[in-house]
Amino acid sequence: MPRFYIDTDDGVFPVRDDVGHEFASVEAARNMAQRALPDMARQKLPDGERRTFTASIRDENGTVLYVATLSLVGEWMVPRSTA
Amino acid sequence: MPSAPDTHSLNTLVHKLQSIATLSDEERQAILSLPARTRILAPRQDIVHDGDKPSQCCLILDGWTCRYKMLSEGRRQIFSFHIPGDIPDLQSLHLHTMDHSLGTITQATVAYIPHESMRELSTRFPRIGEVLWRDTLVDAAIFREWMIGMGRKSAFGRIAHLFCEMYLKLEAVDLAGDHRCPWPITQVDLGDALGLSNVHTNRVLQEMRGKGLISLRGSTLVIQAWDELMRASEFDPTYLHLEKRAA
Repeated sequence: MPRFYIDTDDGVFPVRDDVGHEFASVEAARNMAQRALPDMARQKLPDGERRTFTASIRDENGTVLYVATLSLVGEWMVPRSTA
Repeated sequence: MPSAPDTHSLNTLVHKLQSIATLSDEERQAILSLPARTRILAPRQDIVHDGDKPSQCCLILDGWTCRYKMLSEGRRQIFSFHIPGDIPDLQSLHLHTMDHSLGTITQATVAYIPHESMRELSTRFPRIGEVLWRDTLVDAAIFREWMIGMGRKSAFGRIAHLFCEMYLKLEAVDLAGDHRCPWPITQVDLGDALGLSNVHTNRVLQEMRGKGLISLRGSTLVIQAWDELMRASEFDPTYLHLEKRAA
Protein backbone atom coordinates (compact mmCIF):
# COMPACT_ATOMS: atom_id res chain seq x y z
CA MET A 1 0.00 0.00 0.00
CA PRO A 2 1.31 3.49 -0.80
CA ARG A 3 2.49 5.75 1.99
CA PHE A 4 1.33 9.34 2.11
CA TYR A 5 2.22 12.20 4.42
CA ILE A 6 -0.42 14.65 5.60
CA ASP A 7 0.87 18.09 6.59
CA THR A 8 -1.47 20.47 8.38
CA ASP A 9 -1.53 24.13 9.32
CA ASP A 10 -4.08 26.12 11.30
CA GLY A 11 -2.36 29.43 10.54
CA VAL A 12 -0.47 29.40 13.85
CA PHE A 13 0.93 25.92 14.28
CA PRO A 14 2.13 24.10 11.17
CA VAL A 15 2.73 20.37 11.59
CA ARG A 16 4.81 18.40 9.14
CA ASP A 17 4.02 14.68 9.04
CA ASP A 18 7.34 12.87 9.24
CA VAL A 19 5.91 9.41 9.76
CA GLY A 20 3.17 9.11 7.17
CA HIS A 21 0.42 6.54 6.93
CA GLU A 22 -0.31 3.67 4.58
CA PHE A 23 -3.48 4.15 2.58
CA ALA A 24 -5.35 1.89 0.21
CA SER A 25 -5.47 4.76 -2.30
CA VAL A 26 -4.77 8.47 -2.62
CA GLU A 27 -8.54 9.02 -2.28
CA ALA A 28 -8.40 7.42 1.16
CA ALA A 29 -5.60 9.86 2.06
CA ARG A 30 -7.74 12.72 0.77
CA ASN A 31 -10.60 11.62 3.05
CA MET A 32 -8.21 11.54 6.01
CA ALA A 33 -6.92 15.05 5.14
CA GLN A 34 -10.47 16.43 4.89
CA ARG A 35 -11.53 14.81 8.15
CA ALA A 36 -8.75 16.66 9.98
CA LEU A 37 -10.00 20.11 8.93
CA PRO A 38 -13.20 20.37 11.02
CA ASP A 39 -11.28 19.02 14.04
CA MET A 40 -8.67 21.75 13.56
CA ALA A 41 -11.36 24.42 13.17
CA ARG A 42 -13.23 23.24 16.28
CA GLN A 43 -10.02 23.50 18.27
CA LYS A 44 -9.32 27.11 17.26
CA LEU A 45 -12.64 28.89 16.70
CA PRO A 46 -13.90 31.38 17.73
CA ASP A 47 -10.76 33.44 17.15
CA GLY A 48 -10.88 36.53 14.96
CA GLU A 49 -12.62 36.88 11.60
CA ARG A 50 -10.08 35.40 9.22
CA ARG A 51 -8.52 32.02 9.49
CA THR A 52 -7.37 29.40 7.04
CA PHE A 53 -6.87 25.74 7.81
CA THR A 54 -5.03 23.54 5.37
CA ALA A 55 -4.23 19.85 5.04
CA SER A 56 -2.02 18.65 2.21
CA ILE A 57 -0.87 15.29 0.96
CA ARG A 58 2.71 14.48 -0.02
CA ASP A 59 3.89 11.25 -1.59
CA GLU A 60 7.13 9.47 -0.77
CA ASN A 61 9.06 11.56 -3.32
CA GLY A 62 7.95 14.76 -1.62
CA THR A 63 5.55 15.78 -4.39
CA VAL A 64 2.49 17.59 -3.06
CA LEU A 65 -0.51 15.81 -4.57
CA TYR A 66 -3.44 17.52 -2.93
CA VAL A 67 -4.26 20.54 -0.77
CA ALA A 68 -7.57 21.06 1.05
CA THR A 69 -8.32 24.49 2.52
CA LEU A 70 -11.06 25.42 4.97
CA SER A 71 -11.54 29.18 5.45
CA LEU A 72 -13.29 31.26 8.04
CA VAL A 73 -14.45 34.66 6.81
CA GLY A 74 -16.39 36.60 9.45
CA GLU A 75 -17.82 40.00 8.63
CA TRP A 76 -19.93 42.46 10.67
CA MET A 77 -22.93 43.90 8.82
CA VAL A 78 -23.40 46.82 11.25
CA PRO A 79 -20.88 49.46 12.35
CA ARG A 80 -18.81 48.42 15.39
CA SER A 81 -16.86 50.72 17.66
CA THR A 82 -13.33 49.38 17.94
CA ALA A 83 -12.58 51.20 21.21
CA MET B 1 -3.03 -22.75 27.99
CA PRO B 2 -2.27 -22.82 31.74
CA SER B 3 -5.48 -23.69 33.53
CA ALA B 4 -4.76 -24.26 37.23
CA PRO B 5 -6.56 -21.92 39.64
CA ASP B 6 -4.09 -19.18 40.30
CA THR B 7 -4.26 -17.42 43.66
CA HIS B 8 -1.40 -15.13 42.78
CA SER B 9 -3.32 -13.74 39.82
CA LEU B 10 -6.35 -12.97 41.98
CA ASN B 11 -4.20 -10.67 44.08
CA THR B 12 -4.53 -8.28 41.15
CA LEU B 13 -8.28 -8.14 41.77
CA VAL B 14 -7.86 -7.69 45.53
CA HIS B 15 -5.42 -4.87 44.88
CA LYS B 16 -7.78 -3.14 42.47
CA LEU B 17 -10.84 -3.45 44.73
CA GLN B 18 -8.81 -2.09 47.63
CA SER B 19 -8.06 0.99 45.57
CA ILE B 20 -11.78 1.87 45.69
CA ALA B 21 -12.91 0.19 48.97
CA THR B 22 -11.70 -1.55 52.13
CA LEU B 23 -11.85 -5.36 52.39
CA SER B 24 -11.67 -7.58 55.49
CA ASP B 25 -9.22 -10.51 55.70
CA GLU B 26 -12.08 -12.95 55.21
CA GLU B 27 -13.29 -11.10 52.12
CA ARG B 28 -9.78 -11.01 50.70
CA GLN B 29 -9.44 -14.78 51.26
CA ALA B 30 -12.77 -15.43 49.54
CA ILE B 31 -11.63 -13.49 46.46
CA LEU B 32 -8.28 -15.27 46.42
CA SER B 33 -10.00 -18.66 46.43
CA LEU B 34 -12.13 -17.92 43.37
CA PRO B 35 -11.52 -20.43 40.59
CA ALA B 36 -9.70 -18.66 37.74
CA ARG B 37 -8.12 -19.94 34.57
CA THR B 38 -5.51 -17.75 32.97
CA ARG B 39 -4.74 -17.31 29.30
CA ILE B 40 -2.23 -15.22 27.41
CA LEU B 41 -3.77 -13.40 24.46
CA ALA B 42 -2.09 -11.77 21.47
CA PRO B 43 -2.41 -8.01 20.86
CA ARG B 44 -5.47 -6.80 18.90
CA GLN B 45 -7.50 -9.92 19.64
CA ASP B 46 -11.14 -10.06 20.74
CA ILE B 47 -11.80 -11.47 24.20
CA VAL B 48 -15.59 -11.23 24.03
CA HIS B 49 -17.57 -10.30 20.90
CA ASP B 50 -20.56 -8.05 20.55
CA GLY B 51 -23.57 -10.42 20.75
CA ASP B 52 -21.83 -13.15 22.79
CA LYS B 53 -23.52 -14.68 25.83
CA PRO B 54 -20.54 -15.25 28.14
CA SER B 55 -20.62 -17.61 31.12
CA GLN B 56 -17.50 -16.13 32.70
CA CYS B 57 -16.01 -12.75 33.53
CA CYS B 58 -12.52 -11.79 32.58
CA LEU B 59 -10.06 -10.17 34.96
CA ILE B 60 -7.10 -8.39 33.34
CA LEU B 61 -3.83 -9.51 34.96
CA ASP B 62 -1.37 -7.96 32.56
CA GLY B 63 -1.56 -5.73 29.49
CA TRP B 64 -4.19 -3.30 28.22
CA THR B 65 -7.62 -3.96 26.75
CA CYS B 66 -10.47 -1.82 25.48
CA ARG B 67 -14.22 -2.00 25.06
CA TYR B 68 -15.43 -0.93 21.63
CA LYS B 69 -18.10 -1.16 19.00
CA MET B 70 -17.69 -1.36 15.21
CA LEU B 71 -19.77 0.83 12.90
CA SER B 72 -20.15 0.83 9.13
CA GLU B 73 -17.15 1.53 6.86
CA GLY B 74 -14.73 0.18 9.45
CA ARG B 75 -15.37 3.02 11.88
CA ARG B 76 -14.74 2.10 15.50
CA GLN B 77 -15.70 3.77 18.77
CA ILE B 78 -13.64 2.81 21.81
CA PHE B 79 -15.58 3.30 25.07
CA SER B 80 -12.93 2.59 27.66
CA PHE B 81 -9.39 1.42 28.24
CA HIS B 82 -8.72 -1.27 30.86
CA ILE B 83 -5.64 -2.12 32.84
CA PRO B 84 -4.65 -4.90 35.26
CA GLY B 85 -7.18 -5.39 38.06
CA ASP B 86 -10.16 -4.38 35.91
CA ILE B 87 -13.01 -6.76 35.03
CA PRO B 88 -14.20 -5.00 31.87
CA ASP B 89 -17.04 -7.44 31.19
CA LEU B 90 -18.37 -7.59 34.74
CA GLN B 91 -21.73 -6.42 33.40
CA SER B 92 -22.15 -9.79 31.61
CA LEU B 93 -22.97 -11.19 35.06
CA HIS B 94 -26.33 -9.40 34.87
CA LEU B 95 -26.68 -8.35 31.21
CA HIS B 96 -26.51 -11.68 29.45
CA THR B 97 -25.90 -10.55 25.86
CA MET B 98 -22.81 -8.45 25.16
CA ASP B 99 -23.80 -5.12 23.56
CA HIS B 100 -20.19 -4.31 22.60
CA SER B 101 -16.85 -6.10 22.21
CA LEU B 102 -13.86 -6.38 24.48
CA GLY B 103 -10.44 -6.79 22.90
CA THR B 104 -6.75 -6.62 23.72
CA ILE B 105 -4.55 -3.66 22.79
CA THR B 106 -1.26 -5.19 23.89
CA GLN B 107 -0.48 -8.82 24.58
CA ALA B 108 -2.54 -9.51 27.69
CA THR B 109 -2.89 -12.10 30.41
CA VAL B 110 -6.47 -12.56 31.53
CA ALA B 111 -8.07 -14.73 34.21
CA TYR B 112 -11.50 -16.16 33.44
CA ILE B 113 -13.78 -16.44 36.47
CA PRO B 114 -17.06 -18.37 36.06
CA HIS B 115 -20.19 -16.25 36.54
CA GLU B 116 -21.47 -18.89 38.94
CA SER B 117 -18.47 -18.35 41.24
CA MET B 118 -18.88 -14.56 41.11
CA ARG B 119 -22.55 -14.94 42.07
CA GLU B 120 -21.74 -17.29 44.96
CA LEU B 121 -19.07 -14.89 46.17
CA SER B 122 -21.43 -11.93 46.29
CA THR B 123 -24.18 -14.01 47.94
CA ARG B 124 -21.81 -15.26 50.67
CA PHE B 125 -20.15 -11.88 51.09
CA PRO B 126 -22.69 -9.16 50.37
CA ARG B 127 -20.06 -6.51 51.02
CA ILE B 128 -17.99 -7.82 48.10
CA GLY B 129 -21.16 -7.57 46.01
CA GLU B 130 -21.37 -3.95 47.11
CA VAL B 131 -17.75 -3.30 46.17
CA LEU B 132 -18.33 -4.77 42.70
CA TRP B 133 -21.40 -2.59 42.42
CA ARG B 134 -19.29 0.38 43.46
CA ASP B 135 -16.78 -0.55 40.75
CA THR B 136 -19.49 -0.53 38.06
CA LEU B 137 -20.71 2.84 39.36
CA VAL B 138 -17.19 4.26 39.06
CA ASP B 139 -17.16 2.81 35.54
CA ALA B 140 -20.34 4.77 34.81
CA ALA B 141 -18.79 7.93 36.31
CA ILE B 142 -15.87 7.53 33.89
CA PHE B 143 -18.33 7.26 30.98
CA ARG B 144 -19.94 10.52 32.12
CA GLU B 145 -16.56 12.25 32.03
CA TRP B 146 -15.88 10.89 28.53
CA MET B 147 -19.29 12.20 27.46
CA ILE B 148 -18.42 15.68 28.74
CA GLY B 149 -15.15 15.46 26.85
CA MET B 150 -16.65 14.40 23.54
CA GLY B 151 -19.57 16.76 23.81
CA ARG B 152 -17.90 19.87 25.17
CA LYS B 153 -14.11 19.77 25.25
CA SER B 154 -11.48 20.59 22.66
CA ALA B 155 -9.27 17.84 21.28
CA PHE B 156 -6.50 19.16 23.53
CA GLY B 157 -8.79 18.95 26.59
CA ARG B 158 -9.93 15.42 25.73
CA ILE B 159 -6.43 14.05 25.28
CA ALA B 160 -5.07 15.83 28.36
CA HIS B 161 -8.01 14.51 30.42
CA LEU B 162 -7.40 10.94 29.29
CA PHE B 163 -3.70 11.23 30.18
CA CYS B 164 -4.61 12.39 33.70
CA GLU B 165 -7.29 9.70 34.09
CA MET B 166 -5.17 6.76 32.96
CA TYR B 167 -2.20 7.95 34.99
CA LEU B 168 -4.24 8.03 38.22
CA LYS B 169 -5.88 4.66 37.47
CA LEU B 170 -2.46 3.10 36.87
CA GLU B 171 -0.98 4.76 39.94
CA ALA B 172 -3.84 3.39 42.08
CA VAL B 173 -2.76 -0.17 41.23
CA ASP B 174 0.97 0.64 41.54
CA LEU B 175 1.66 0.54 37.79
CA ALA B 176 2.71 4.19 37.56
CA GLY B 177 4.52 6.79 39.62
CA ASP B 178 6.44 10.05 39.35
CA HIS B 179 4.09 11.16 36.57
CA ARG B 180 5.41 8.40 34.34
CA CYS B 181 3.31 5.50 33.06
CA PRO B 182 3.14 2.89 30.32
CA TRP B 183 1.29 4.17 27.24
CA PRO B 184 0.71 1.42 24.64
CA ILE B 185 -2.19 3.28 22.99
CA THR B 186 -1.59 4.26 19.35
CA GLN B 187 -2.73 7.52 17.79
CA VAL B 188 -5.46 5.62 15.96
CA ASP B 189 -6.73 4.13 19.25
CA LEU B 190 -6.66 7.56 20.85
CA GLY B 191 -8.65 9.09 17.97
CA ASP B 192 -11.17 6.22 18.03
CA ALA B 193 -11.65 6.70 21.79
CA LEU B 194 -11.99 10.48 21.73
CA GLY B 195 -13.84 10.98 18.44
CA LEU B 196 -10.89 12.69 16.72
CA SER B 197 -9.31 12.25 13.33
CA ASN B 198 -5.92 10.58 13.38
CA VAL B 199 -4.27 13.62 11.79
CA HIS B 200 -5.64 16.02 14.38
CA THR B 201 -4.71 13.68 17.24
CA ASN B 202 -1.15 13.81 15.91
CA ARG B 203 -1.29 17.63 15.80
CA VAL B 204 -2.39 17.88 19.41
CA LEU B 205 0.26 15.44 20.61
CA GLN B 206 2.92 17.43 18.76
CA GLU B 207 1.62 20.63 20.32
CA MET B 208 1.73 19.09 23.81
CA ARG B 209 5.27 17.87 23.21
CA GLY B 210 6.29 21.22 21.74
CA LYS B 211 5.04 23.04 24.84
CA GLY B 212 6.91 20.62 27.10
CA LEU B 213 3.72 19.32 28.74
CA ILE B 214 4.37 15.66 28.02
CA SER B 215 6.87 13.35 26.44
CA LEU B 216 5.81 10.19 24.70
CA ARG B 217 8.70 7.91 23.80
CA GLY B 218 8.48 4.23 23.01
CA SER B 219 5.55 3.15 25.10
CA THR B 220 6.12 5.50 28.02
CA LEU B 221 4.17 8.64 28.79
CA VAL B 222 5.79 11.23 31.02
CA ILE B 223 3.52 14.02 32.20
CA GLN B 224 5.93 16.91 32.62
CA ALA B 225 3.35 19.53 33.54
CA TRP B 226 0.68 17.77 35.61
CA ASP B 227 -0.99 20.92 36.96
CA GLU B 228 -1.14 22.51 33.53
CA LEU B 229 -2.71 19.39 31.97
CA MET B 230 -5.25 19.20 34.80
CA ARG B 231 -6.13 22.85 34.40
CA ALA B 232 -6.37 22.75 30.60
CA SER B 233 -8.61 19.66 30.63
CA GLU B 234 -10.70 20.70 33.69
CA PHE B 235 -9.70 17.42 35.27
CA ASP B 236 -11.11 16.80 38.75
CA PRO B 237 -10.24 13.28 39.99
CA THR B 238 -13.31 13.03 42.27
CA TYR B 239 -15.14 10.85 39.71
CA LEU B 240 -12.52 8.10 40.03
CA HIS B 241 -13.46 7.71 43.73
CA LEU B 242 -10.02 6.42 44.65
CA GLU B 243 -9.80 5.51 48.34
CA LYS B 244 -6.10 6.16 48.76
CA ARG B 245 -6.45 9.67 47.36
CA ALA B 246 -9.44 10.46 49.58
CA ALA B 247 -7.58 9.25 52.70
